[in-house]
Amino acid sequence: MAAAASTRDDTFPKLLGRNARDRGARPAIRHKDFGIWQTWTWAEVHGLCRAYAAALHELGLQPGETIAIVGTNRPRLYWSMMAAQMLGAIPVPVYSDSVAEEMAYVLAHADVKLAAVEDQEQVDKLLSISERIPNLRHILYDEERGLRDYDHTRLHHIERLLARGAETLRADPAAAAALDASIAAGKGADLGVILYTSGTTGRPKGVMLTYDNVLISARNGCAFDRLDETEETIAYLPLAWVGDHIFSYAQSLVAGFCVNCPESPDTVVEDRREIGTTYAFAPPRVYENLLTLTMVRMEDAAPLKRRMFHYFLDVAKRVGEPILNGESVSLTDRLLYGLGEALVYGPLKNRFGFSRIKVAYTAGEAIGPEIFRFFRSLGINLKQLYGQTEAAVYVTMQPDGEIRADTVGRPAPEVEVRIADNGEVMFRSPGVFQAYYKDPEATAKTKTADGWVHSGDAGFFDATGHLKIIDRAKDVGKMRDGSLFPPKYVENKLKFYSNIKEAVAFGDGQDSVSCFINIDLTAVGNWAERNGIVYASYQELAGHPQVYDMIARHVDEVNRSLAVEPMMGGAQIKRFLILHKELDADDGELTRTQKVRRGFIAERYAPLVTALYDGSPEADIRTEVTFEDGRKGVIAARVKIRDCATYPVAAPAPAMENAA
Amino acid sequence: MRAPGGKDGLVAGDVLLAVDNVSLSFGGVKAITEVSFDIRKGEIRAIIGPNGAGKTSMLNVINGFYHPQQGRITYKGATRQKMRPYVAASQGISRTFQNVALFKGMSTLDNIMAGRTLKMQGSFFWQLFRHGPAMREEIEHRRKVEEIIDFLEIQAIRKTPVGKLPYGLQKRVELGRALAMEPDLLLLDEPMAGMNLEEKEDMSRFILDVNNQYGTTIALIEHDIGVVMDLSDRIVVLEYGRKIADGTPDQVKSDQKVIDAYLGVSH
Repeated sequence: MAAAASTRDDTFPKLLGRNARDRGARPAIRHKDFGIWQTWTWAEVHGLCRAYAAALHELGLQPGETIAIVGTNRPRLYWSMMAAQMLGAIPVPVYSDSVAEEMAYVLAHADVKLAAVEDQEQVDKLLSISERIPNLRHILYDEERGLRDYDHTRLHHIERLLARGAETLRADPAAAAALDASIAAGKGADLGVILYTSGTTGRPKGVMLTYDNVLISARNGCAFDRLDETEETIAYLPLAWVGDHIFSYAQSLVAGFCVNCPESPDTVVEDRREIGTTYAFAPPRVYENLLTLTMVRMEDAAPLKRRMFHYFLDVAKRVGEPILNGESVSLTDRLLYGLGEALVYGPLKNRFGFSRIKVAYTAGEAIGPEIFRFFRSLGINLKQLYGQTEAAVYVTMQPDGEIRADTVGRPAPEVEVRIADNGEVMFRSPGVFQAYYKDPEATAKTKTADGWVHSGDAGFFDATGHLKIIDRAKDVGKMRDGSLFPPKYVENKLKFYSNIKEAVAFGDGQDSVSCFINIDLTAVGNWAERNGIVYASYQELAGHPQVYDMIARHVDEVNRSLAVEPMMGGAQIKRFLILHKELDADDGELTRTQKVRRGFIAERYAPLVTALYDGSPEADIRTEVTFEDGRKGVIAARVKIRDCATYPVAAPAPAMENAA
Repeated sequence: MRAPGGKDGLVAGDVLLAVDNVSLSFGGVKAITEVSFDIRKGEIRAIIGPNGAGKTSMLNVINGFYHPQQGRITYKGATRQKMRPYVAASQGISRTFQNVALFKGMSTLDNIMAGRTLKMQGSFFWQLFRHGPAMREEIEHRRKVEEIIDFLEIQAIRKTPVGKLPYGLQKRVELGRALAMEPDLLLLDEPMAGMNLEEKEDMSRFILDVNNQYGTTIALIEHDIGVVMDLSDRIVVLEYGRKIADGTPDQVKSDQKVIDAYLGVSH
């Protein structure tokens, strides 16, 4: 029966029609606007999207053409995708914070004919690159402010398009019939969306996914965690990211649950609390921030509250996870945990917006084990999954009851996973992408003829059949003495400390490991305030000797923990420095998804890397920075370098040799 | 789609306010001497000048806080010599201050709501019980306040006490409170003082948007000459309480007296 249903409702527009029929009065999407949650039901969304599609047809959008979607998570941008798909056109969501140069490349490469954008800022950006995208015919915008006096020959307010489209459908039955026919003509094998990868290396590539790719993955994901129409999620991750496309768009349509769009990117935490999400998804960074904020706030709390908080957190650390996993726990501990739930965990979960949480996922990067356990010990069913745009997200995921901080779980339903000879993880599934848009060469490099995809990540299956990811396959290096150097593994250990925001480790082909550290301004700034340390700028705080002392203690602890692990012991940190500026995506140092671009950083800060290895106590550096308005400036600094103690490596246990 | 005529019956370009031969002194100190200029409906008018030129005094004269010893002020066609700030406010003149003057312990929302005070009609009796007409009215005021919060993109600090906010945001809240009055003439006293570049750009955009969207006439004092040249339609330049130039940014920029006043001149 499931198979029959899947052939009938095999595209998003068809699923929207089904939801309007079967659960028309249930909420489909909410948006907080003017301080109030505005709700649209499935029936309303269905009507609006049809009107929108009719208007897009009048603007000349043809089947097979592409439409760019630029902005934060807003109902009208999601509807832009849906309306385009009703006409057989293909939405191309773009990272809205990308600089004009990056955006021009993607839009020109995708050959977009229309663009649906959020507001004046994005309209200005597109107008500034209009000669690079000559085929762009119309720009549609959601937020009118500041756009009143613009030339409106090629510019349209989405609200007015919706009204015009509704009028067309009412007045012209032929147009309505043509739209119905266009929706009915769509099939699962059609191209549904093109998602551009954030481009850790080289130019962004357009990953082409069919309706089948996305829908089968979304269905499997829903079935895996038994998601139904009562779920509430909050949509705040970039529209261009495959995660948002699956979790906020596809799964909402498949399961029929409600997606909530926050008031502004700055109000997500508060909005999540008001909604009380039941299904959540976030990269580790978001969980890290929640934890950091909590810890910082607790430092300022009254002593009694602070003592209570730490006492019950210790209780949770001991028994929280066993209770969540359904293991046996003594009655006293259960009672204590119950008391903690009333006094600490409950209020804390309420703050996080996790009071009603059913399942929460983290993916995109490895999460610090302590952060992971913190959330689980509070009774939040936080799980890990491993996914890629090329797989329509799911490669492996953790089933309930088999959740561990250091693995990413078992292969997801209908996914085959194998490890290549060089340690690279490869997968094959119904979610596997068709090809990279207009790039057969890159496609051939990534996807084999029989459908296996090179993930680019190195990993192995442990004794329990769970996949462990160590690092990017090409990043795992060897040091001169032959010991393994997985930079991300080292960096993640450092980033566990709330004072460290970002770390970049070097060591491939060297005698020892050394690293750059970015302090976390929130955490270190608060610490400085409490300790009476005066500073005028980020740069001054970063170079402060007492900050160095504190970071040195963290590095020392990391070295001790590395020394205990036979395979990783060689990667202990010999020397480190604290960077004078925050690594920033605008300077190309991070990707748009906030991953460090190690190679680029090594080049940009070459004098500092040299100084780390030639024994000098400090080094000078000049770097060009890009301000938010696009202007450039130069920051110069003298950065100090610290030496660290290393510890003898533990003898390899026999089991570990097998694993290696 | 700017409204061609407001409730005052004036059309964009008409003189909204005229200052005619105004002099103001405090004891023996002459703050303003025989200054005349006008502000036209719908324009952004800047008042600039070196420190102590009498700019803030001029704003205080306009909104009735100071009473000039000499000269006349014509606002919406009515000439007056003395006016109380309360009356100025009720006639559609609102302002922000050089040093932020907000209720520090109150939230952003409540501060902006305070700007609606003059618009409140309901009787004290109903307000006391939050019922009937008072409730409907409060909802209407709240809707207007939320529009301003949305307009100024300060949703995230809606419920934050203003005293906890960084300076740049406090300035924005103050602008919000001034806007809550739905003013015909908005006086901004150094809206960008003490801001970094990014905050200045944001504020400039908001000022332009207010002018564009609501058609509000704006008179502003600002030290950053670059900002003034970009924002304003016309500029009046004061020095030692006297007007030394008046015109478009280009005219003022090339005026020798202005250059001398700003760069100094060897005597």
